[in-house]
Amino acid sequence: MSDRSSRLTQSRLSRRQMLGGIAGGVAAGGLLPGILQAKSAPALIQSGGKLTFWGGLIFSDEANKMLTDTVNAWGKANGVQTDVVMINQNETNQKVSAAVESGTMPDALDMGLDLLLLLSASKQLTPVDDLYDKIGAAQGGWHESVDASLAPAKFGGSRNGIPFGAGGNVLFGRKDILDEAGITAMPKTWQELSDDAAKAQKPGVFGMGFALSNVGDGNLQVSVLQSYGGRIADDAGKKCMIKSAQTKTYMEWVKAAWDKKLFPPGATTWDGAGDNTAYLSGQAIFIANTGSVTIKAQEDDPDLAKSTIYSALPAGPVMQVSPIGPNVRAIPKSTKDVARAKALIEHLTQPDFLKEYYKVAIYGPVLKDQDDFEAFNTPVLGGLRDLVLHDTPPGAPDVYNTAYADFSANFVVPKMIQRMVVDGLSIDDAIDEAQKQGDAIYAKYA
Amino acid sequence: MESIESRTTLPATFERGWSRARRKPKLRKLGSLVGVYVIMLIVAAIVIFPIYWMFTISLKLPREIYRLPSLVPQAPTLDNYRELIEKKHFLVNIRNSLIVASSVTVVSLLVSSFAAYSIVRFRYRFRGLIGRVILLTYLTPSSLLFIPLSIIVARLHLGNSLFGLIVLYLTFSIPLSTWLLSGYFRSVPPDLEEQAMVDGTSQLGALFRILLPLSLPGLAAVGIFTFTGAWNELLFALIFITSEDKRTVPIGLQYLITGDVLLWGPIMAGAVLAALPVMVLYFLAQRFMVQGVTAGSVKG
Amino acid sequence: MSTLATPETSRPVGLARLSFANRQALSGYLLVLPALLLLLGLVAYPFFFAITISFTDRVVGEAGHWVGLKNFRYLFNQPSFIKTVTNTIVLVVVADIAKLCIGLGLAVLLNQAVPGRGLMRAVVLLPWAMPGFIAFLVWKLLFTPIGGGLNLILTDTGIYTGIIDWLGQKSTALPAVIIATVWRGFPFWAISFLAALQGVPQELYEAAKIDGATAWQRFRHITLPSIRPVILIVTLMSSIWTANSFENVWIMTQGGPSDATMVFPVLAYFGMQTQRLGEAAAVSVAMIPALLILVFFVTWLIKDDD
Repeated sequence: MSDRSSRLTQSRLSRRQMLGGIAGGVAAGGLLPGILQAKSAPALIQSGGKLTFWGGLIFSDEANKMLTDTVNAWGKANGVQTDVVMINQNETNQKVSAAVESGTMPDALDMGLDLLLLLSASKQLTPVDDLYDKIGAAQGGWHESVDASLAPAKFGGSRNGIPFGAGGNVLFGRKDILDEAGITAMPKTWQELSDDAAKAQKPGVFGMGFALSNVGDGNLQVSVLQSYGGRIADDAGKKCMIKSAQTKTYMEWVKAAWDKKLFPPGATTWDGAGDNTAYLSGQAIFIANTGSVTIKAQEDDPDLAKSTIYSALPAGPVMQVSPIGPNVRAIPKSTKDVARAKALIEHLTQPDFLKEYYKVAIYGPVLKDQDDFEAFNTPVLGGLRDLVLHDTPPGAPDVYNTAYADFSANFVVPKMIQRMVVDGLSIDDAIDEAQKQGDAIYAKYA
Repeated sequence: MESIESRTTLPATFERGWSRARRKPKLRKLGSLVGVYVIMLIVAAIVIFPIYWMFTISLKLPREIYRLPSLVPQAPTLDNYRELIEKKHFLVNIRNSLIVASSVTVVSLLVSSFAAYSIVRFRYRFRGLIGRVILLTYLTPSSLLFIPLSIIVARLHLGNSLFGLIVLYLTFSIPLSTWLLSGYFRSVPPDLEEQAMVDGTSQLGALFRILLPLSLPGLAAVGIFTFTGAWNELLFALIFITSEDKRTVPIGLQYLITGDVLLWGPIMAGAVLAALPVMVLYFLAQRFMVQGVTAGSVKG
Repeated sequence: MSTLATPETSRPVGLARLSFANRQALSGYLLVLPALLLLLGLVAYPFFFAITISFTDRVVGEAGHWVGLKNFRYLFNQPSFIKTVTNTIVLVVVADIAKLCIGLGLAVLLNQAVPGRGLMRAVVLLPWAMPGFIAFLVWKLLFTPIGGGLNLILTDTGIYTGIIDWLGQKSTALPAVIIATVWRGFPFWAISFLAALQGVPQELYEAAKIDGATAWQRFRHITLPSIRPVILIVTLMSSIWTANSFENVWIMTQGGPSDATMVFPVLAYFGMQTQRLGEAAAVSVAMIPALLILVFFVTWLIKDDD
């Protein structure tokens, strides 16, 4: 239905555009005649044997190059002219929004789960259930946590993307500093972590290098909140339930840590690189990171890399929450030659390629046969594999749906903390405000 | 009246004024000169410190940036520049930005001069309205426009091309340029043009031979704004340019922020390189600004 | 001569004038046409398109339905909204005043024949010469609590040895953003005023000097009135820029801490992240009445001059 309706609105749109006063007519019709046709050669128009692929740029030049080369080699072998563009993940959302609206989507592209959710809700993707099952059957099956993250029920009844790597957070600790304080093991709970941090902290070095700002890293606090038993919404994912005794316990823990000055100054306005920078500057004892810090430290500061130990994220009093974020390859609705796009995506799941690729990338495995790849013998990537095996799909124990994604994108939980530690609001008032905002957000999707 | 009075007492005032002028103004001039330099030094310090900071970071390796922050680089190196140019192909970005920014500047100055000339020197209905509409278009937040524009851009096949970017940037620069230029045109007395037209010059001839040369300082200033605006624009470039070989300077720099990692050294090196062409342009334009003034005084 | 010719030529002159007026009108339209068409097609049209979007529940890929003022109600009820309004106003007004004072002062200074002014003019332009987001990244680095340039200066000179979290605390976050915004924006003002000052006839100053006018009087009665239209336009342009600017806040604070620096464009950006075009457009549209008032006020002032 929505396919047809969207096509209908497209044509209505173009008519409106043509009739939208002189301006529209001029713009669409004859404003810049001649020259335009002669001069511009839109790269995104699919013609003949051409395939456009938007890969996700990550912080590993080697991995980016390997992906590009592999796609191009596949194109050569199959007589397809490939156009690979590596798109910075920070820009993917805007670029995709503009591309969908203007009908200039590539034939296949990489994306995170949030974008997959949004594009599935607006029916912009081609279902790939057959390919998903085929690849799973060939390589030992998909990991349960990965499989659950892509449960068709949440994505309009189909599998709309092929996972190619699982992101997630691993806890980094400064072994040298912890040793000095006589702490020999990485903390198992968040309370232990803040205690260790307080004990090991010294002037200029802060215990808890976690962002409390309006960026993706700030939403790590959602996981901590959940590990304290707090919830964003009810089991149906329909009603915001952030106000609870458990959330209050969690907030008390944050407040105590803040008052002990365990968070580095600036944590309330850090950008996405804030924790990286703090850790690489030697100003943080613990951080949670996807692995980019390791690559950077190994390149630039081997001593720091050597004195870093890794573990899974700690647990709260109620449970351990350390969700994975599968990255997927998807095929837009607008793609003409779906079979060819599928062939490329399937090719990119070949073990021969991934064995080498995972060594230089920062992903955990998605298929069971990938578990014993040599790449996952390192502490960080091994940690990511453990995460995948641990079976925490995104959002769990909450339901990962569009309302949850909206809630995350508006950073309600980090803002709740900011209200408390920056504005000095009482814990109850801060929670009330978050509940109110959560209600407004969930009401939009009810 | 005052002038008559001063004329009548000229000898006396001349005597006194002369002797005073010999001493007091000189002292005052020296005093104010020192004052001027003090202010200039303070301003220069405030302007330069962030740029100095940027420059020092462009000379530091990551370990020094992170672990040994200091006001003066301890082990300066050009590695960041090398990485930027050799590995990140930054010169391609610079070439693209040069093409885009200079084309926008030339076209925009031309189109805006026409429009400003029309608004200032011609009489017709809706003139005031048209002038206001041009200004109003400047009001629109580009974040609001990018979705509707992406549809239009795709229809016109302007996506992923430098030419498309040039056309889009004209929409920023023309309102600004038209308004600033009409301000300058107004300050030029119309007598000379009228004289030239009586002598048989066409209206366009009057614009190109009389008005524009007399408005050189304005043109130079407007040209600089246009160029820097186009040189530095990020949002539209990010959305409408996809291919690597068409990326402009701001996109090139933005791509040095990959996921959650900022490559501080190369970014700052890029910022230093990006500022250079604008500086060169400014030095060139400054000559025109001075020339424009001379042209104006010759007329007077 | 003209008085002699009047009786015979009055009619032909009138006719010629009429046709001249027609010709003038035609040339006038033709000259303004390219600019007008481009702006109508690529700004005005998408602009009105975007305004209609703000009244729908459009999301990326789906046209959506008319929902009236729903998006606006949602926006006005957001806890951040009031702060967004006041922050945007404070940012624009304070930054404008600062840029006006600095820009005007510098322009007057640099318009004098002092040795070294050429170099100084180039120095003044430096902040303008780099991409905006780079400028704000640099300021973010300067404001970094540990190892940031500002705190290093304070500790190295012994003025203050503690750690100041410039961007992370409520009292200094917005001032810090304003400082960076002014630093980046004042060259535009200074250079505009400088160019305008060069258009002021030197004879006026000479005459005033002879009449014994003080420097302040000369500034007040000659300089200011002469460049008043430029001041007004620059204020208008720059206010719009500042109100629409996204990079400064986004790069330095993302609107935090606790909305202390939240402004309209950042709020709109959050809306875009969930691809809810209607809501995101409503944020930008909500700001337009204020900008319109500003525009009409300034154009009215300018008209007053003519």
